[in-house]
Amino acid sequence: MKVVGARIPRYDGVAHVTGRTTYVDDVRIPGTLWVKALRSPHHNAGITKLDTSAAEAMPGVHAVVTWEDVPLLEYGHLSALGIPADEPLLAKDEVRYKGQPIALVAADTEELAAEAVDRIDIGFEERPALLDVRKAFDADAPEIHVEGNWYKHFENEMDRRQIRRGDIAKAWEQADTIVQGVYRPAAIEHAPIETQVCQVVPEPSGRLTIYSCTQALYFSLGVVAAHLQVPLNKLKVVGGTTGGGFGGKVDTATETMCCLLAMKSGKPVKWRWTREEEFLCSSTRAPWHMEIADAVTKDGWILGRKMLTLHDAGAYSRFSPYGLTKHSFHHTGAYTIPNLEFDGYVVYTNRVPTTAMRGFGVTSVSFAVETHMSRIADLLELDPIEIRLKNANRIGDTSPNGIVYTDPSTVATIQTIAEAIGHELPADYRTMTSEPRTGEWLPEHLVAQTANPEDH
Amino acid sequence: MATASLALSEATEVLRPASEDEAVEAYGDGTDILVIGGGTIVVPDLTYRRVQPKRALLLKDAGLAGVSRDGSRVTIGAATTIAELVDLPAPIGPCAANIGDREIRGAGTVGGNLCAGEGYEAPRGDLQGALLAVGATVRSAGAGGITEEPLEDYLEQRRSRLALSVSYDEPVAGAFAALDRPHTHDYTALAVSGARAADGTIRLAATGAGWWGQRLPSAEGGDAEAALRDVEPHDDALASAWYRKKVLPVLVRRVLDELKGAA
Amino acid sequence: MNLTVNGATHEIESGLLTPLLDVLREELGITGPKAGCHQGGCGACTVIVDGEPRRSCLMPVAHADGAEITTVEGLGAPEDLSPIQQAFVHHYAAQCGFCTSGMMLAAQAFIDRGGTDDKEAIQDALAGHVCRCTGYSKIVEAVAAAARGDEFDLSETAVGKYTTMTTGGAE
Repeated sequence: MKVVGARIPRYDGVAHVTGRTTYVDDVRIPGTLWVKALRSPHHNAGITKLDTSAAEAMPGVHAVVTWEDVPLLEYGHLSALGIPADEPLLAKDEVRYKGQPIALVAADTEELAAEAVDRIDIGFEERPALLDVRKAFDADAPEIHVEGNWYKHFENEMDRRQIRRGDIAKAWEQADTIVQGVYRPAAIEHAPIETQVCQVVPEPSGRLTIYSCTQALYFSLGVVAAHLQVPLNKLKVVGGTTGGGFGGKVDTATETMCCLLAMKSGKPVKWRWTREEEFLCSSTRAPWHMEIADAVTKDGWILGRKMLTLHDAGAYSRFSPYGLTKHSFHHTGAYTIPNLEFDGYVVYTNRVPTTAMRGFGVTSVSFAVETHMSRIADLLELDPIEIRLKNANRIGDTSPNGIVYTDPSTVATIQTIAEAIGHELPADYRTMTSEPRTGEWLPEHLVAQTANPEDH
Repeated sequence: MATASLALSEATEVLRPASEDEAVEAYGDGTDILVIGGGTIVVPDLTYRRVQPKRALLLKDAGLAGVSRDGSRVTIGAATTIAELVDLPAPIGPCAANIGDREIRGAGTVGGNLCAGEGYEAPRGDLQGALLAVGATVRSAGAGGITEEPLEDYLEQRRSRLALSVSYDEPVAGAFAALDRPHTHDYTALAVSGARAADGTIRLAATGAGWWGQRLPSAEGGDAEAALRDVEPHDDALASAWYRKKVLPVLVRRVLDELKGAA
Repeated sequence: MNLTVNGATHEIESGLLTPLLDVLREELGITGPKAGCHQGGCGACTVIVDGEPRRSCLMPVAHADGAEITTVEGLGAPEDLSPIQQAFVHHYAAQCGFCTSGMMLAAQAFIDRGGTDDKEAIQDALAGHVCRCTGYSKIVEAVAAAARGDEFDLSETAVGKYTTMTTGGAE
């Protein structure tokens, strides 16, 4: 191995320490216009009036764009994964989250652009907002998405991600006790030190050069081309250095709009979000609501798990169905639970649409699963490390989505941790391996599963 | 050559007085003028267009900085940076050291801190508490000329009078206790300052228990819980009123104990 | 007014209230200091003013009249890195690099005023600086190493040192 364990140079290390790394805001193109956005002040409202003429008439304002300027207003970024489009690039008839962009101005100075935004004549008709995922299913909940309050396009047009395995009713019968828990991690703001920023230059050749802070250059290229309805070779995306992203710079949140302004004005434009916009209007890691109930024996075997997940997608789908899917595949964590009843919903609320953030979809369920394990150990007065080893994945066990484990490292990892923290384990736990279960590690309820892994 | 993109309003007249007299004259009665000490509070207001003043008064070179002593009477110029106060005895020294970080303290001024407007997300103006505790007076300019008055009276009009200097008699003992800040860019949610004068009288003051710094006279006799009678805290982004009411007597107790223990 | 940055003096056209950060970046094209928040909350804009670290986004440029300003560009160039820059490269103290300029300048000012490799003193000196990538420990290690005067072999970590392309014919 040439790389593992070696000191590898960061190709950008010297540039970073000499101030030579060129971030998007460092790009200097003469004649660049500054961009400011008109954003929704309401969580949920109809747009009754939108007149940009006063802004457009201001000297120094070179272009104003609204939904009317967008060739393809709604494009599903993950339509390749079957997630249909539901979000307009710029709001048309309504706004569904506070901060949603409605119109953009390109002007000679940032101050002028901000003044022009203030001169746009906009009228709203406020509507009741839905801000709590738990209320989304109530009969009297406001309907806040064109399809109702939760996503309905999982495979076979199912309205949830569903996993069923084994015989959950039997697990409940055989349990000595049921342990329940509710886990509700809050939204997390990526807060990169570099805020969202984009610069677009219209080239004399007819192409657009896009300086973008995106984490996903080719992905964003595709999104912009789709919204603009142009061939990919009309766009040149210059990426390469992001001042922190962590998943928050994959939404292609600025590029298309800057292209429209560059096209309309014929001049280079730059849009740089303020820290306030970054906190209030940029997408976050989703809040989750997870309920787990485990059927357990008094000696710590987990016979079955029922789980309900409500994923708060915010106002639009974006990547949420994908995140929930990954989440569902990991809802048993590093442990083998043969009887499963999982239901997960992507729920819409009038909040900023949520997006990826490190470990997208899985960090939430890992948190819930591990906390729940500790809760079980606590209630049963069992050792928290032993209970994990007991239920740990072995070779031949299967994941919730039917993948057979060929080389799980759960047992070895937990044993190493126990040693490192000076936690004494009984002899049979110290000699445990990841080999297929036998003897005391193969209770009756796991016999069938181990014999025929593919049946699950 | 490109000029700065955040072109602040060209209409703001910038005044840079070179002496106290020039500063006082420029300030006049304070209408339509933004005073800038270090700029740590008001420059973002300008950047984000929250204020667009007709005139701005930069005090940096008006000779208003410095700490001087006349016997036991200490005078601090309004443009003195907070950094210059960190080594003063309690309560002022530790209060100053707990503000911002080195870079903020090196720019922010006493005057700016005292005159900070109500922070709706978090309390501002920590030094108000420490200076109330030492019984400070403020010399200021504005309508009616130059006056000197107790800090608690000045605080009521701090947005319309130009602070020139703050004076107080050095206490025999002082103490400062505050809730920890999660990060240096957070303001202090609640702090209590105390001082004991030569004749034994105790003065207590708090910041974060109301809209600006205030005395806690009910607790000055030694009953920490009684401080709750003097305050009406509110909820903000840093802490709830409920939490502040729980913690205030604890901080007052600490300050009282420290004052008693000091020689 | 005039502004002296990294030893060179410039005549400034921007208004006197313009934050120093914007004069540096927009008028002078000195883009080392970064705009992370424009309100003093992150430290990405920090520069050294007469030996002291200051938030350039909070300083009206008038306050820099007559002062000597150092930005990250003034610490050293790729072919001649200063100790703090070498330490940051060697210890992998920069990931996205956006906070790096402010961190190093605060660190340089700390070392210049006698700062040692005391971890708590370093944390206090850099207290106003936010990093979202590294978790800070590598940054503190790098500052400690520079404060101690450690020597660095950058042949493995500074790419330019051994992969720079050269002209010339085949041997």
